[in-house]
Amino acid sequence: MVGPFGENVSAHFPYGKAPFWLLVTALVSGLLLIVTRRSPEKRADMVLTTFTSLHSEAYQKVIPEFERAHGVHVSIQLVHQQGLTSRLQNALLAGTEVPDLVELLAGSMGYFTAGPLEDLGFTDLTARVEQEGLREKLVTSRLSLWSSRGHVFALPHDVHPLALMYRADLVEALGIHVEELETWSDFEKMGRAITRDLDGDGVVDRYALDLPMSGGDSLVALLLQRGVGLFDEQGRVTFDDPRATDVLAWYVRQTHGKARTATECGWGQPLLKAMNDGLALFYVAPDWRTYMTQTDLPNLRGKMKVMPLPAWEPGGRRTSVWGGTGLLITKASQHQELAWELAKFLYLNKPALGARFLATNIIPPFKEAWDLPEFHRPNPYFSGQPLGAIYAALAPSTPSVYGSPFYQLAFDKLGEALLRASAYYDAHGEAGLEREVQYELAQSADYVRRVAERRVLAARDDE
Amino acid sequence: MTASARSARIVDVGRPTRRKPAPSPGPRPRVTAPYWFIAPYVLLSAVFLLYPLAHAGLLAFYQTNGPRSRVFVGFDNFAFLIFDPIFHRALWNTTVFALCSLFVQLPLSLGLALLLNSSKARFKGFFRLVLFSPNLVGQIFVGILFGVLFTPRYGLINRFCQALFGWGLEQRWLGDPHWVMPAIVLTSLWIWVGFNMIYFLAALQSVDNSLIEAASMDGASPLRVLWHVTLPAMRQVIVFVVVTSIIGSYQLFELPLALLPQSNGSGPDNSGLTVIGYLYQVAFSGGDLGLGAAVGWVVAAIILAASCLQLRLTGTLAD
Repeated sequence: MVGPFGENVSAHFPYGKAPFWLLVTALVSGLLLIVTRRSPEKRADMVLTTFTSLHSEAYQKVIPEFERAHGVHVSIQLVHQQGLTSRLQNALLAGTEVPDLVELLAGSMGYFTAGPLEDLGFTDLTARVEQEGLREKLVTSRLSLWSSRGHVFALPHDVHPLALMYRADLVEALGIHVEELETWSDFEKMGRAITRDLDGDGVVDRYALDLPMSGGDSLVALLLQRGVGLFDEQGRVTFDDPRATDVLAWYVRQTHGKARTATECGWGQPLLKAMNDGLALFYVAPDWRTYMTQTDLPNLRGKMKVMPLPAWEPGGRRTSVWGGTGLLITKASQHQELAWELAKFLYLNKPALGARFLATNIIPPFKEAWDLPEFHRPNPYFSGQPLGAIYAALAPSTPSVYGSPFYQLAFDKLGEALLRASAYYDAHGEAGLEREVQYELAQSADYVRRVAERRVLAARDDE
Repeated sequence: MTASARSARIVDVGRPTRRKPAPSPGPRPRVTAPYWFIAPYVLLSAVFLLYPLAHAGLLAFYQTNGPRSRVFVGFDNFAFLIFDPIFHRALWNTTVFALCSLFVQLPLSLGLALLLNSSKARFKGFFRLVLFSPNLVGQIFVGILFGVLFTPRYGLINRFCQALFGWGLEQRWLGDPHWVMPAIVLTSLWIWVGFNMIYFLAALQSVDNSLIEAASMDGASPLRVLWHVTLPAMRQVIVFVVVTSIIGSYQLFELPLALLPQSNGSGPDNSGLTVIGYLYQVAFSGGDLGLGAAVGWVVAAIILAASCLQLRLTGTLAD
């Protein structure tokens, strides 16, 4: 660099050329940062964070009405679900800035309830829920999902009742009468009859049902239908209940061995391809899955239908539940009252819930909304069935799901029990299967109990 | 400089050297510049390395719920790890992966390097780029890509196996506990073989050719030349690659996470769970930073022991 008098400035810098250029670069970048800094956008009075664009878009439409009514500015942030959970958890624990309201997936609640209640970064909504009579107005089972140690921490967004979605064109062509499939035993008989290799290449091309081999959410949903949760209301491990043995043994028989009736279609593109090809005829379908299907597979319009789940015993429960979203208010919010008003505005605003159903196929837990005409409108994708009415009829029978800091661990250990029982079935067949299932379930449940007992911090509130 | 001064210097140079009298003892000028130069490094190391290390050492004796609540549990975290079957599974999986890295991946890398180093090889630059390029895209990308390739019934690998061997169309590579680790190893080979090959290739190119020619002229077969001349000459690089491979293997985390997203990288029956995956689960999903710190120390001890053993066996420490 040449100075104003023609001298080489960098050569005269006392620490050499490299530090000189480092210094110049630092100064130039610093100046550029200052010069190009944007003026901050208008700061919102309240921030709501969600993880799904479906919700974000629906809220963007109605929020201006709330802003006008209350004279505030509400900002909606869209963050990926995994990132939202981990970042929010860290922010809450570290005491840094968090949104006023946040939507979370039910499964992530355990992350936040692992410690003492005083550490939980969300506002206790129990008194507000009682005050507004929401236990009567909402599907009661849904509040359990958002409760910890007797306290409610969220308003539930949905019910997510479970039904079977099926390729009506193929099922009817095979002469299957779905109204006759009252129990899973009936379903199994039908499945054995239609599962086969159609082109003779040694590979089965048509199965009755899509079920993940490792269990996952489908297995938990089937257990819930049987009345067995991973945990009970007191947070005790319950998945080694004797009724779970029947379900697991049935699940193993459907997914393994020569007489199996189910295959794993996976997620995303493979699932869509399998549905399109008719690889499996029936799919376990919570309400949200029907919307994904009608959006992602438009060519199956008029070829799909839904039916209630077959029961575990005649006259038994014909539905279950899979998933859930809730709206939580953070303790750090400076606008607790306004946040509660916004939560009610978004979740309990009856006229808006009809439009939201049409945009998502998701049944809200607010029972009054089910009378709206949108819920009774025929859905042409599902062969003209009134999808809303079918799912709403199932909603009151959905089982309660109780959260726990050890939910994910229990979920994983249940999958382990299934895999080990499946390996046993592959090696030994039917003989001793139920005993093996019982043993594996007990082993898995005991492990979760041991880990839970070790967590002295979570137990502080119980003392 | 004046002319008289210049001539005085010339005269001085010509004189026999005479030792200057020692300077009178007094306060030496303090040189502070070097300290300022190393200050940023020392400061950053202290904040982001030394303090976390010391804190993690302390944390390993606590049970925590994030940074806010903690309770002293002594050696309970270590005792839990000793008896925890999931940790054992994670340790076993990681060790199997490390062994596969050593005995499958590195020989393959060396083989490719030898092929590319051959005087008969053509398009060396092209193949070097092709083999190295998977390393440029990152483990997450490769994990997602192979997740699609391994899809039962519709995946390219399944279709390929079915067409070639009449088997494998419904093979659940990432859903069957027995096949998860082979799938992870196969994917890692695609990433890392080319990377390590570059090290070996560089080492091969620095081997003194006259030694190889002399051995060949003495009648040594190519295999004997490789074993007795080439490999010993590459020893330093081989030791480096082996040690970094062991360390990298015990730090495996992103690849299983991307390959097995439905189970957060654990896979069915924890068949894809690694020690760092376990650490992540207990510390960040479970909120017990204390147990996570204990796992971290155990992993550090294992890596240190494995590296020392390696250095001792190869005699590098003696060098």
